[in-house]
Amino acid sequence: MAQENVSMKENDMAQTGFEPRILGFFCHWCCYAAADSAGVSRYQYPPNVRVVRVMCTGRIDTRFILEAFKCGADGVFTGG
Amino acid sequence: MAETCRQFLKDCGVDPERMSLEWASAAEAPRFVELITGYVSKIKDKGPLGEAEGEEEREKLIRHLKAGVKAAQARKPRTALGTLSKKLHKEGNFSKEAITEGVKAKILPALRSERILQEIKMLLSEGALSLDELSKEVKAEKEEVEKHLSTLSKKGTVKEETGKWSMA
Amino acid sequence: MVEAGRSPNIEIITNARLEALEGKPGQFLAKVHQAPRFINEDLCTACGMCTMYCPRPVVDTYNERLDITRAPHIDYAQAIPSSYYIDAKACLRVNYDTCNLCAQTCTAGAIDFSQKPKKLELNVGAVVLAPGFGKVDDEVLEKFGYGKYPDVLTSFEFERLTCASGPTEGHIVRPSDNKPPKKIAFLQCIGSRDETCGNGYCSSVCCMYAIKEASVAKEHEPDLEISIFFMDVRTMGKGFDEARKRAQEKYGINVIRARVPRVDQVDGKLALTWTTPDGEHHSGIFDMVVLSVGLESPEDAEIISKVADIELNHYDFCKTSVDSPLATTRDGVLVAGAFQGPKDIPESVTQASGAAAIASELLSDARNTETITVTFPEENVELEREEPRIGVFVCHCGVNIAGVVDVKAVRDYAGTLPGVVLYEDTLYSCSQDALKSIAEKIKENRLNRVVISACSPRTHEPLFQETLRSIGLNPALVEMANIRDQCAWVHAQEPEAATEKAKDLVRMAVAKARLLEPLDQPTVDVTPSALVLGGGAAGMASALSIADQGFKVVLVEKSKELGGNLKRLTWTLDGQDARKVLKDMVKKIKAHKNIEVLTEAKLESISGYVGNFTSTISRKGKTDMVNHGVMIIATGGREYKPKGYAYGDSPRVLTQLELEEKLSKGKSFLKNARNVVMIQCVGSRGEDMSHCSRLCCTQAVKNALKLKEVKPDLNIFVFYRDMRTYGFYEDLYREARKKGIHFIRYTPEKRPEVIKQARGIKVRAFDPILGDDLEIPASLVVLSTGIAPGENEELSKVVKAPLTSDGFFLEAHAKLRPVEVAVDGVYLCGLAHGPKSLEESIAQAKAAAAKAAIPLAKGKVAVAPIVSRVNQDACIGCGICESLCPFNAIRLEKAGKRKKAQTITASCKGCGICASHCPTLAISMGGFTDEAIMAQIHAFSPEGCKEE
Repeated sequence: MAQENVSMKENDMAQTGFEPRILGFFCHWCCYAAADSAGVSRYQYPPNVRVVRVMCTGRIDTRFILEAFKCGADGVFTGG
Repeated sequence: MAETCRQFLKDCGVDPERMSLEWASAAEAPRFVELITGYVSKIKDKGPLGEAEGEEEREKLIRHLKAGVKAAQARKPRTALGTLSKKLHKEGNFSKEAITEGVKAKILPALRSERILQEIKMLLSEGALSLDELSKEVKAEKEEVEKHLSTLSKKGTVKEETGKWSMA
Repeated sequence: MVEAGRSPNIEIITNARLEALEGKPGQFLAKVHQAPRFINEDLCTACGMCTMYCPRPVVDTYNERLDITRAPHIDYAQAIPSSYYIDAKACLRVNYDTCNLCAQTCTAGAIDFSQKPKKLELNVGAVVLAPGFGKVDDEVLEKFGYGKYPDVLTSFEFERLTCASGPTEGHIVRPSDNKPPKKIAFLQCIGSRDETCGNGYCSSVCCMYAIKEASVAKEHEPDLEISIFFMDVRTMGKGFDEARKRAQEKYGINVIRARVPRVDQVDGKLALTWTTPDGEHHSGIFDMVVLSVGLESPEDAEIISKVADIELNHYDFCKTSVDSPLATTRDGVLVAGAFQGPKDIPESVTQASGAAAIASELLSDARNTETITVTFPEENVELEREEPRIGVFVCHCGVNIAGVVDVKAVRDYAGTLPGVVLYEDTLYSCSQDALKSIAEKIKENRLNRVVISACSPRTHEPLFQETLRSIGLNPALVEMANIRDQCAWVHAQEPEAATEKAKDLVRMAVAKARLLEPLDQPTVDVTPSALVLGGGAAGMASALSIADQGFKVVLVEKSKELGGNLKRLTWTLDGQDARKVLKDMVKKIKAHKNIEVLTEAKLESISGYVGNFTSTISRKGKTDMVNHGVMIIATGGREYKPKGYAYGDSPRVLTQLELEEKLSKGKSFLKNARNVVMIQCVGSRGEDMSHCSRLCCTQAVKNALKLKEVKPDLNIFVFYRDMRTYGFYEDLYREARKKGIHFIRYTPEKRPEVIKQARGIKVRAFDPILGDDLEIPASLVVLSTGIAPGENEELSKVVKAPLTSDGFFLEAHAKLRPVEVAVDGVYLCGLAHGPKSLEESIAQAKAAAAKAAIPLAKGKVAVAPIVSRVNQDACIGCGICESLCPFNAIRLEKAGKRKKAQTITASCKGCGICASHCPTLAISMGGFTDEAIMAQIHAFSPEGCKEE
């Protein structure tokens, strides 16, 4: 059900044509690893995220987040 | 960190929901995919930066952010962040309330004040502005702006002429 | 596994079996037969083309025959060696000399049909047998409809169904109609605790795995209705009871206590009938039945026993004894894992380390005579200092990347980026020849920064770092852009967007590469000695092992003499004299030249880091300083002191250990005894402590049998919640029942009461079979009181090692690092880790000794260069970093007049909390500097974005 909703929304969005630019900060041990493993399993997800790898989410500074928005990010996804 | 970001983003005029902090362990690829997909779709709904914020001028938003970055680099707000983290850590108190309240009471004011200061300097170096104009441009109360202006003028950084402020 | 694959000192010989083992400890000759895999491991890039083109389908045995693969295949993506192999039985080329398609499609030229079986003769000093477990016969499963009704699955098959990379991609469907089931039944003890199939033992792991599988299934399909049919719920592992309770509460998994005798099919569904302990008959219809099959001895156990000349026990598992659980009957031949007896992953990993310790004891004289160390040329510091000259290598990874991403476009784009002097594409960057060519190109073009745009740095960065080192460049000067795992693979349907993303990722990586700096590869010398805390069985066993491996040990015991809880034990669970075990150990300790024993001593404080600890030990009013490289926590636990049950009020109420003490002094105290009542779980499993104490069930059975032996006409009643006589201890339980000992189940709502009377005592309890209260006048009440944590809290603060909610020390990782704590260089064993038997304590002590001996044997510890560095000029000594560091890896130290922060590189994990919280930005992280991250953020914007 949840997945259906998501894909329906995606269709709606495709019409508006807006492709957000999102910067991700991924923890090496957790989220980055999960993202790799998503790749190994060939799961598919939208190609809007660019990733900065950090050793731990604790590394992430408020400055980084603000700088990302300043540099044109429409969203910042931090993943621990 | 996340809470500080959220509150400060809001202060800079950015919808705090544009930043998300999620947890996915190395073994949770499906969860990661779900999170990313959901998040991208959420940001799509919000539209480009500035749109959901209702900020008519993107430039203004970027200025807030530029000043914001400088503020986040400044020693005072950083000390406030460090001190609060240290305190919560020591107490072993990581409840959402304690963090939200702590950030609101200790860190946000320091960041905001520093951002306003930086933005006044940025604006005035481009041209003279009245207190009203400044207050509108930097998204701050007149009193807050006035406080900075008076400190800056005491230092001789800025001056007032016929109701307009400019760099000295 | 990857680690084992990468170690230069581990040679992995797959497809092989042992044919003969000659010689003696220190000088074995192992004759090994290796069957060909027909694919050259060194050349194979694991691209999967061979599988794709092979016309010959074969049943995928890795996926429990639920899927089809092809003759050339790899069992699963992470398999080691990361090379495909050809199923010789199915291959057309091997059998009929036709086809040969795979060899033609393999771009790496890895397929080699000329491979022949090899006879290898290996000179080894010690042998570890770890053949795992075998499968329960299909014949046993047929009773439960397996093979007859398609929707009866084994738990192994079900596990594959729930696996996201399994045959159904994690969707649980019925094999009969591919539809999701609504009601699932798990039947426990299939092929375990069942004398009719010859497996009288308990397989120890099935209760927990069934609960896990059921939880995973519920997580996938929340509407599923799952019932598990148990005889006893045996979740006695560390933290398992808690996990079980959570699963029951969170997922509403239905626990039914009954053994289902058979499975029938009615109208395409499965019908079960069962009888609950109150004697009521029930029946139910299910869509799927999962048989929780047990662990058998390996199929080739007898062959192994003959070839290796070792004895098996009566269930065909390897024969061992309680006091040396990892030694087979042949000297120098060791055993680990399920071949020693059914066990779970943490215990198997622990045993494996323990076996390694014994091998290391045996071979300590020969240490470093056969080891391979890799050497690298000196670093070209001048080149590194020059302006960045970046080379970008964009990998096709066969079709893995190039099938989606326009690799050539990405390569050309890289050429437009500032600082890039060389940009190329490679077919497989990680193949041996590509690495060689990359190395040559780096040299030719005098590159001093390298960007590999390929797969994940998590898996491949070490490989490219090594390539840089091999040509005299600092390994920190390589950066990877992950355009496979996080791009091509996950955006397969959107090649254009994926190509754009790949360009962005390369741009960001190049931006970071410009700012990469060479990092020191620091190593620190190790003080070659160990401090062992606790002189009980675990502490003594680990101290002996480390000492036998050739290192000094200081053994600290708080009481006046060695022994700990072992002093109070009379018989081991396999009937040996526990006092003799103790006496032997103490004797060996006292005679050992490498061991210094400090009794009545206590650790007051510890400072330093792995390799260089300094501890303060207080002893009889004085304090001493001890320098040591590693430390083992073996401080034990204590017998729980019961509250209530008239304990302390009546001399007739004892604990199990008190009973053993009395029994050891003679049987006179039983002269007038008629009824003995034992009560299980006193204090454990939610009464006072939440954990299960693991061994009280077996201890009670053991003592009950002992009582029967000395006075056969005794009536013995054991009140229990679940009898957890796991593994081979099940034999004792069965024997006890045969000897007429009464076992009566109680629920925590209706605990047995001990009532003191004018003359004697009686026990009142609810009997579920009678459905009524029962009163037993008792000559003796024995409380199975369980194991409480020792004084862990205080020690946890001193060592800064975390505890579990039950008050035992928490291991760094339950499965991967079961005997290490979060602090590097500190290890853990025995009751300090959690309740366990003597046998398990000794195995764990050996494991801790093996782990502790690693830094000691190396003499140096390498430190990851991603550590934090403090700019002392900018530091204001506020101490925020010190208080926030989760690893105690940064501290304030006097530098001139003021205190300044300083990183303890050996302890630092590079998390960066200190850097992100430093008020003056004085801390920078190796490989992840503020500038580098900022550069990546700026490069995120295609137009570029500058720092103001």
